[in-house]
Amino acid sequence: MAFPAMAFPAMAVIAQAVNGIMMGAVYALFAVGMVLVFGVMRVLNFAHGAVFMAGGYLCWFAMAHVSPIYPVALLFSTAGGAAIGLVLERLVFRRLRENLSMQIVASLGLILMAQNGVLLLFGADALQIEAPSLRRVLRLGELGFTVQHLVILAAVAVAVASLHVFLSRSRLGIAMRAASQDIQAARVVGIAPDRVFAITFALSGALAALGGALLGPLFLVFPGMGDLPLLKGLTAIVLGGMGSVWGAVLGGLAIGLLEAEATLFAPTDYRDLVVFAALIATLLLRPRGLFGTAIRGEP
Amino acid sequence: MPISADPIVQTSALPASALSVRNLSAGYAGRMIVDGIDLDVAAGEVVTIIGQNGAGKSTLLRAIAHLLRQRTGAIRLRGADVTALPTEALLQRGLAFIPQGRSIFPRLTVAENLRMGGFLLRDAALLRARIDAQLDAFPALAALRETPAANLSGGQQRQLEIARTMVMDPAVLMLDEPSIGLAPLIVGQVFSTLRGLAAAGKAVLMVEQNVRRALEASDRGIVLELGRAKLQDHASALLGDERVARLYMGG
Repeated sequence: MAFPAMAFPAMAVIAQAVNGIMMGAVYALFAVGMVLVFGVMRVLNFAHGAVFMAGGYLCWFAMAHVSPIYPVALLFSTAGGAAIGLVLERLVFRRLRENLSMQIVASLGLILMAQNGVLLLFGADALQIEAPSLRRVLRLGELGFTVQHLVILAAVAVAVASLHVFLSRSRLGIAMRAASQDIQAARVVGIAPDRVFAITFALSGALAALGGALLGPLFLVFPGMGDLPLLKGLTAIVLGGMGSVWGAVLGGLAIGLLEAEATLFAPTDYRDLVVFAALIATLLLRPRGLFGTAIRGEP
Repeated sequence: MPISADPIVQTSALPASALSVRNLSAGYAGRMIVDGIDLDVAAGEVVTIIGQNGAGKSTLLRAIAHLLRQRTGAIRLRGADVTALPTEALLQRGLAFIPQGRSIFPRLTVAENLRMGGFLLRDAALLRARIDAQLDAFPALAALRETPAANLSGGQQRQLEIARTMVMDPAVLMLDEPSIGLAPLIVGQVFSTLRGLAAAGKAVLMVEQNVRRALEASDRGIVLELGRAKLQDHASALLGDERVARLYMGG
């Protein structure tokens, strides 16, 4: 099939789609964790990017000092992220549930602490996760992509599918949705809110750290590696409608695709402009986002 | 105009209390809204609390359910002192509460709502049996199992709240204005459901603004005024009381 105007060769469009879906999957994973916490607790955790970054460092540490097997390092990072989530909920966000401005202040403080803590522990140089097999390039005709592209897509698909099954089938998952819809009703049926909030934050932290551990081998591990996913993940949440897990997933994928394809018709530096212009246009046409409903969100 | 204090508390004449509240005071931020309430509800009995807005009716139920932390006094459930227990432990011991307004989970299905009613039941077979029993008791809900609760009618939502609560098979059921927002015909159905529960041995304690119809469905009534129990009597006596009629039944 020939493109009408040959300005974008079809192969380049497809190659950028592969890149875009891969980055979009990472944004989606990031956004899902954030939207989960927002949906259940009405807490906006801007330190979610710091947990993502911690996932990258945990993965580097696991590969270097625990086990050179990447799946083991992924599990290690994910478990570490869950633990970080638990600590953040217990020590910080449990006290700030009703207070959005203090959540933002606390998040910024946490980001500073995390980034400087990492500088202290690991130094200012970006770290490379030693996994040459993940960076091996696969060829599909003219198309080339790394093994890690596939690993990311598979891991995100498994994580999102597992989350979906958890939220729709399991006792605790349904209780999380119940608490997000009516916290008082949850209390009268015996769901202890504090427990639900702890589980929500653990899950959210696990997903963020998994994201960092997935992106680490492709890019480098450095203190600011969570900033970009934070920006794009937030955009994905707003684009998706500030509500559902699926909105966040599709919003993340849409942003990844859009920014990758944007590099074909605009200078690379303009891709954020394209993404945010698309966000503004979407919100002008659909103030609730692409998949939002009039009702305030639930996961 | 205040009602003259003539409390008739016939605790001795009643069968053993399912719920017994002594000298309960509760409030928010240091201000006591419920002030030294004594009340008993026996198994098989429907008791209605009436009173004007701000009399402390909802606060009283919320304090008994321990959804309100600032309170003093003693609460006994089937003889056992449960004053210190949190809401979920009270539910496990048999004290259930349906708060005011819609308290179903709107975007969970009917089946999921019922499952959450049994959140504290860890025995899967027992949970299934209890849910099936509620679906038998409320056939309208059985036909709507996979429907999001938000799509149910007001009367069906109230049925779902009651069914969801009964999954725990509580000995005492407290309801805050079960008739609010319902069509008159549906109100009658809700009250007859509550009578049915009492006939099955449950103790029912409710707060109602729909005073006449609630008292008609009740055994006893308690008139709350400024946080104090001004009057406790048989429902029929309150229905015939000219002052109660004037103050609370618009008559």
